[in-house]
Amino acid sequence: MRTAFSILQKDLRMEFRSKESILAMWIFSLLIFVIFNFTFEVSRLVMLEIAPGLLWVAFIFSGMFGLNHSFAVEKEDGNLRSMALMPVDGGQIYLGKFLSVTIIMLMFEFLIFPIFIIFYDLQLSFQMFLLIPVILAGTIGFTSLGTILSAVAVHTRNQQILLSLLLWPLVSPIIIWSVNLTGMVLGGGEIGAVFFPLLIRVAAFDVIFFTIAYMLFDFILED
Amino acid sequence: MAVPALHLEKVSKDFGRIIALRNIDLKVEPGEFLSILGRNGAGKTTLLNIISGVSRPSSGSVQLFGTDPGDRENKAKLAVISHEMFLYGNLTALENLEYYGRMYSVNDLEQRIKTVLHEVELTHRRFDLVAAFSRGMTQRLTIARAILHQPSLLLLDEPFTGLDQQAIGMLIDLLKSQKELGRTILLTTHDLHTAKVLSERYIILEKHQIMQDGLMTETNPDEIRKKYFSPLEKAEMS
Ligand SMILES: Nc1ncnc2c1ncn2[C@@H]1O[C@H](COP(=O)(O)OP(=O)(O)OP(=O)(O)O)[C@@H](O)[C@H]1O
Ligand SMILES: [Mg+2]
Repeated sequence: MRTAFSILQKDLRMEFRSKESILAMWIFSLLIFVIFNFTFEVSRLVMLEIAPGLLWVAFIFSGMFGLNHSFAVEKEDGNLRSMALMPVDGGQIYLGKFLSVTIIMLMFEFLIFPIFIIFYDLQLSFQMFLLIPVILAGTIGFTSLGTILSAVAVHTRNQQILLSLLLWPLVSPIIIWSVNLTGMVLGGGEIGAVFFPLLIRVAAFDVIFFTIAYMLFDFILED
Repeated sequence: MAVPALHLEKVSKDFGRIIALRNIDLKVEPGEFLSILGRNGAGKTTLLNIISGVSRPSSGSVQLFGTDPGDRENKAKLAVISHEMFLYGNLTALENLEYYGRMYSVNDLEQRIKTVLHEVELTHRRFDLVAAFSRGMTQRLTIARAILHQPSLLLLDEPFTGLDQQAIGMLIDLLKSQKELGRTILLTTHDLHTAKVLSERYIILEKHQIMQDGLMTETNPDEIRKKYFSPLEKAEMS
């Protein structure tokens, strides 16, 4: 636990010092909102239909950026190799990187959400609190898998990059479900009977991805 | 007899069609200082990578202190200095050392950090970001980072590159004191005179094999140079 915490502390410290990721992610998402808001002249009804998807597009692309940045830092001076040399558990390294990536992404999401509300002129309601578990579950699903795939992409030579490309689609069910769930909440109607089972399904995938990645990380660090 | 610090048996390594090492047999006793010499591409770095466990041999066996290089206890005993700095530019010198110290569970970390910073003469720059360091200063911090956890086996891959005369002197002194502390040290270098100052034993890698394994006291660096290095130097010049 101490190991994971040291990695987390180091990553957050570097992030707050440069604010590189969060800033870039924020601007990037803003761009997505602006482009979609002004280039497509669609009715408000249609806009509401696609808004949940747009929100997750912004989240995912920014998340990709955050992941890349987080591992580019490790790669720069061979730090990922130095991690392989450390007398620590691979799982702990994974946990540390996972936590830092997740926290940074959640912070960014928290910052971009008000903008989203304003852009799409959404009605604030009590029901929106239901988005908290939805975003949490969707984000964790994305980062748990993204962390290990980025490590693979950074650490191994060309041929294995293919592997990470092939594995990315694994995360798509989580994203699709998260978009559905977000749509249900933003739709404003009654939360149907499908909402909670679906949310639980996303959470279950989170646990599965996390557990597998945690156990596999030792192998990733080896050459 | 005590277990050797390092024991390689019939170690070979190839990268696809490229052969890097062939049937390397090597035994290093605790406290020994071994210089590894050889031309560019002779396999020196590959050899150190196999010893540190970051790279697996294609065949043969490697043991550190009688066990697998990947063992947790072995990793805790090991320090690697290579051209990769293993430092974070966006952290200060102090923060880098604190991070490493925690990852290696160093006891009495604050005191250790003070000591190593003093040893590499960077105390006055400890609050500066590493990104703002010169190449030589970064290299010195790399050295501080490597000895922070008091490793018993040091693997140094051309550690003198990028250092000025004063820093080279500092590193030589530091390595001498590490040697006095009984550490086992392996050093690759192209500088035979430094190798002679520091180590008692040397090996020469040539054509992926150990061509010579001898004692520094019994050799003349210039002879080794003539025998193993000069043809290439000439070839490079023409
Ligand atoms: N990751 C790799 N992939 C493919 N070939 C490699 C790899 N690493 C090393 N080699 C090859 O193995 C051989 C030995 O390389 P190595 O880096 O060990 O040499 P070296 O003795 O350290 O040279 P130098 O003095 O330039 O540092 C070379 O032919 C090199 O091209
Ligand atoms: Mg080399």
